[in-house]
Amino acid sequence: MTAVHIAGRGLACALGLDVATSLAKLRDGGATAESRLLPGGLGGDFPYYAIPYDLPDWNERARDLVLRVADEAGARPGGRGALFIATSSFDIGAVEPAAARTYAGDYRAFADTVAGWLAWSGPVYSISTACTSSLNALIAAQAVLNSGTVDEALVLGIELENCLTLGGFAALQLLSRTGSKPFGVHRDGLVLGEAVAALRLSTSTSAPWKILGGANVVDGRQSTGASAAAIERMYGQALATTGLAAGEIDLVKVQAAGSPGNDLIEADGLRAAFDRLPPLVSLKGALGHTMGASGAAEVALLTACLEHGAWPRYADAVDETLGVNLATEAPNSVRRLMATVLGFGGSHTTVVLEHA
Amino acid sequence: MNTFLVSGRCIAAPPPTDWREQLAVMLGEKPRRIGDWAELGLYGALRCMADAGETTLPHDTVVILASEHGPHAATIAALEQMHDDLPMPLTFLQTQPSQLLALLAARMQWQGNASFLAGTELQSMLFLAATQAGSGGLLLGWVDEMDGGLTHWLRLRPCEAKGIDFKPAFAVEIFSPQVSYLNIAPKSLHIARSNQHCIGGRGMER
Repeated sequence: MTAVHIAGRGLACALGLDVATSLAKLRDGGATAESRLLPGGLGGDFPYYAIPYDLPDWNERARDLVLRVADEAGARPGGRGALFIATSSFDIGAVEPAAARTYAGDYRAFADTVAGWLAWSGPVYSISTACTSSLNALIAAQAVLNSGTVDEALVLGIELENCLTLGGFAALQLLSRTGSKPFGVHRDGLVLGEAVAALRLSTSTSAPWKILGGANVVDGRQSTGASAAAIERMYGQALATTGLAAGEIDLVKVQAAGSPGNDLIEADGLRAAFDRLPPLVSLKGALGHTMGASGAAEVALLTACLEHGAWPRYADAVDETLGVNLATEAPNSVRRLMATVLGFGGSHTTVVLEHA
Repeated sequence: MNTFLVSGRCIAAPPPTDWREQLAVMLGEKPRRIGDWAELGLYGALRCMADAGETTLPHDTVVILASEHGPHAATIAALEQMHDDLPMPLTFLQTQPSQLLALLAARMQWQGNASFLAGTELQSMLFLAATQAGSGGLLLGWVDEMDGGLTHWLRLRPCEAKGIDFKPAFAVEIFSPQVSYLNIAPKSLHIARSNQHCIGGRGMER
């Protein structure tokens, strides 16, 4: 199998418009969530992690952010590699509810638009597996790169503010009204956020981090929640795919979005998968849950954190009854890590990264 | 892996007028609250599985579902509900195409790798699927609810290419009922008709 390196990364999120700014903000205590007012009896004010970049037109804002992160990741205009677009909400944010009937919902048109912004000339794939979209895009990109047909791929996670996602999560009563508390004793729901992230993958350019493999396990028994058995299987498959033992994993970036039920299930799955748990980290308190972009955004931020010595802080003490803990500082040495996202549609996904 | 036997298929564009009744029979009850697009997808997938003589999938099968518009009607309905209130929870769930993957996995009591590809060109989708296929092969679906509806599904099992007389083909030809074998390359597709020997694949003598 050919080594697939993360040759470049770009990130626009609530912390900042690039990786360096985001790291500085993280060191400075992190971003402050804004507030979003939603209508109806279950509505009200909800915290939300917005990208600090204002433009009135949704498409112009999306284009600017995509171009910024692609450039930061070192993707050249007119790329001939494979482009993987990962999103759960596509361009739904460009449509106001009053004009719902005008929504074309044309996935190919959206992919063509994004590819057009980048003047992309290679194959374009658009993957949507809800919150796990960009991790599944990474796994798919690795498979295409290993086929030898291209030597570069760009994974773009795109999740921008829209009323439907916020409203849908509020309707399902999954949102916190107080803040993000991963594995926290006072956790009361998710805090959503937006992010645009780019990971440039290469088989021809050497770089510190490489993707060893991953696993995606769909379990349909709980379509909006995680399954401990599926989590255990996901980690087991990822280890088997990469030929690693559980003891060779130095860090796991968990989902831990602050959901009372799902955090408990995730902790159960982690304890089942690892006889001895490696250090755990969650970035949801730093970025919010950025849905389909979260895999790419969190891999970009986490690898930068490990390289530059930054680390997230948590707003709440870890719930001891979960039987897991979150590392409060970066482990001394991280050679191999797993980055995990759990999502709607019963999707449980992890990728394994190795540092040279 | 790049050579596959078509061991089952459902080609329905449009689906038969009684497809909802057929789905209810296959499920043992009327599906409830999953949305038209997901029902249409489930109908095609279960017909394809029945055609392949399978009720579930090997654990290392890769499922890839594709669509040009996904659950479009549910998305518009949820957006309209947002005009002055939150969307109905089930309507919002119906806007997520990956919900169909969960429904399918639950129906087959299967856990495995399943993804949704949005608006991706057919040839690119086939190639991506081939790069990810394991020994359990692939279950591929294309579902759209517009223009009368479409639900195409193929169950593909890996096999040896030796001895099969492949011909170049356009990607859309995979939906022909006569096609029994596919050979998938990055930018090209070759197909073959039945009555060919295939090692490791299920026979086509139906």
